[in-house]
Amino acid sequence: MGDLVRFDGATLGYGRRVVLSDLTFAISEGDFLGMVGPNGAGKTTILRAILRTLKPLHGTITHTPNIRFGYVPQRDQVDYNFPLTVVDVVLMGRYDRIGLGRRPGERDRDLACKALQHVGILDLADQSLNLLSGGQKQRTLIARALVGEPNVLVLDEPTSGMDLVSTTQILGLVRQLHERNNLTVLMVSHALNEVANYVERIALVMNGGFRIGPVDEIMTQPVLSAMYGIPVDVDSFNGHRIVVARREGTTDANV
Amino acid sequence: MFDAVVLFREALYGALVIGLACSVIGVYVVLRRIVFVGAALAELSSAGIALALWLEGQSLMLGLATHPIALALILTIGGALFFGAGGGRGRIPPDATVGVTYAVAGAAGILLISKAAVGEAHDIFLAGNILGITRADTLVLLAVAIPVLVIHAVFYKEFLFVSFDRETARTLGYNINIWNLLLYFTLGVVIAFAMQSAGVMLVFNFLVLPAVTGLLVSRSMGGVFLWSVVSALVASLIGFTLSVRFDLPTSPAIIAVSGVAVLVAFLIRLAQRR
Repeated sequence: MGDLVRFDGATLGYGRRVVLSDLTFAISEGDFLGMVGPNGAGKTTILRAILRTLKPLHGTITHTPNIRFGYVPQRDQVDYNFPLTVVDVVLMGRYDRIGLGRRPGERDRDLACKALQHVGILDLADQSLNLLSGGQKQRTLIARALVGEPNVLVLDEPTSGMDLVSTTQILGLVRQLHERNNLTVLMVSHALNEVANYVERIALVMNGGFRIGPVDEIMTQPVLSAMYGIPVDVDSFNGHRIVVARREGTTDANV
Repeated sequence: MFDAVVLFREALYGALVIGLACSVIGVYVVLRRIVFVGAALAELSSAGIALALWLEGQSLMLGLATHPIALALILTIGGALFFGAGGGRGRIPPDATVGVTYAVAGAAGILLISKAAVGEAHDIFLAGNILGITRADTLVLLAVAIPVLVIHAVFYKEFLFVSFDRETARTLGYNINIWNLLLYFTLGVVIAFAMQSAGVMLVFNFLVLPAVTGLLVSRSMGGVFLWSVVSALVASLIGFTLSVRFDLPTSPAIIAVSGVAVLVAFLIRLAQRR
C-alpha cells in the first residue's frame, strides 16, 4: 500500500507560534487511523495540514497525486439556519466537480441519492436540515463527503455531543465504509475510549507530543500514562478496551 | 392618487431597483449574521457623501460634490473589503469593529454635513430623498444592479457554499477569501449607489426585512430569494402609494409596510407550526 500523505519533519503552527514540531508519519492507502487528543492539543492543526489548508512552517508534507478528501466537519461548524434540504447539502460535495458557475445535473442528483442510501437516510432526502437529529445530521455530512468520490474520508469529532446509541451507529457506519469500500479513514476525536475500539492505528496528540502506532502498541499503560502525564489503567471488557485515569490513593492493578 | 404616483414614477422605479438588488444580497446578509455590516457600510457611504459636500465647501476638491458617489464608493468598498477580509481579526471581536465603524462613520457624516457650504438637512442621510430620484438615477442604479444580480445568479452555488460551510468549501479548493471579498464587494457597491437616494434607514430596511420575510415564509433557498424580492417590491409599491395618498414621508412608509410583511410572515410561520 502506498502512502497517500507523508509528513517528513514537519513543524506546524500559525505565524511565529509553533503548535507541533518535527512530525514524521504517513497515512497509507487503506489505513483506518484515529487521531486522539484533548482540545487545543493540535489535532485540528494536523488535520488542516493533511487537508492542505495549512502549510508547514518547516519540513515537508507530501500528498499523492489525485488525492481527494471527503471532509466531514464538526456538526456545529455548519450553519443550520440555512433553509436547505438534506439533498441540497449532499450535493455540495460535488460542487467542485460540477465547475464554476454551473448547476448540479441529473447525474449529480443520482449520486447524491446513492450516497444518502449508503448512509441509510435516503428517505430524508427532501427533509429540512434543521429538523434532523444529531445522528441524522452527521449522516448527511458523511453522505456529502462520500458523494465527491473521495479516496480518504476525514471526520472531525464525528460523535461529539451524541448519545450512546447515535455514537455507536455513527462509528459502526464509518467502520463499515472502511471495510466494505476499502476507504482510507482518518477520524479525529478527543474520546480515546470511543475511537480505540474501531480504528486500526492511533495517533496521540497531547502536551506538545505526538505518537502514532497500531492500537495494540498505543493502548498500553506505559504509553498512555507517559502521553497523558498521569497514571492511567488500560482494561478490557467484552473485547472493548477501556482507559481510565487512576484515582488518587489506588495502585497499579497489574502490579 | 394614481396621477400623483405617475408623477413620481421615476422615483418609484428607482425604489424598485434598489429594493430588488438589496433584497437579493440581503439574504446572505441575514443568513451570515452580518446585518450590522450592512448598517456600517451604509453609514460609511453617507460619510463619503458628506465628505464630498464638505470638501466642496472648502474649495478643495471641486467637482466631487456633484459626484459624491466617488467618495461614497471609495469608503464603502474599502469598508466592504475590510470586513470581507475578516475585519481586522485580532484582539477586537469583528462585531465590535463593525460597531466602531458604524458610530464613527455616522457621526463623521453628520459633523461634515453640518459644516458643508452646500449642507443639506441632516435627516437626508437618515431618511434619504427617494422622491428626488430621476430617470438618469434609475438608469445608473440599473447599470449597477444588473451586473451585481448576474454575478449572484451565476455564482449562486459558490456564494452559498462558502457562506454555509467555509471549512469544507476550503478543503474542496475554494478560495474563501476571494469569494468573501466578491460577496462583500457587491454588497458595498449596491449600498454605495442605493445610499445616494434611499438613505441609511431605507437601505438597511431593504437589506434585512425582505430577507427575514423570505426566511419566515419559505423553507428553500430559492423560495427565500423569491419571497425576499417579492416582499421588497410589494413594500416599495404599497409604501410609495400610501406616502403619496396620505402625504407621508416615503422611506418610513416603505419600511412600515416591510415591517407589516415581516409580521404577516411570522404569523404564517406560527400557523404552519400548529
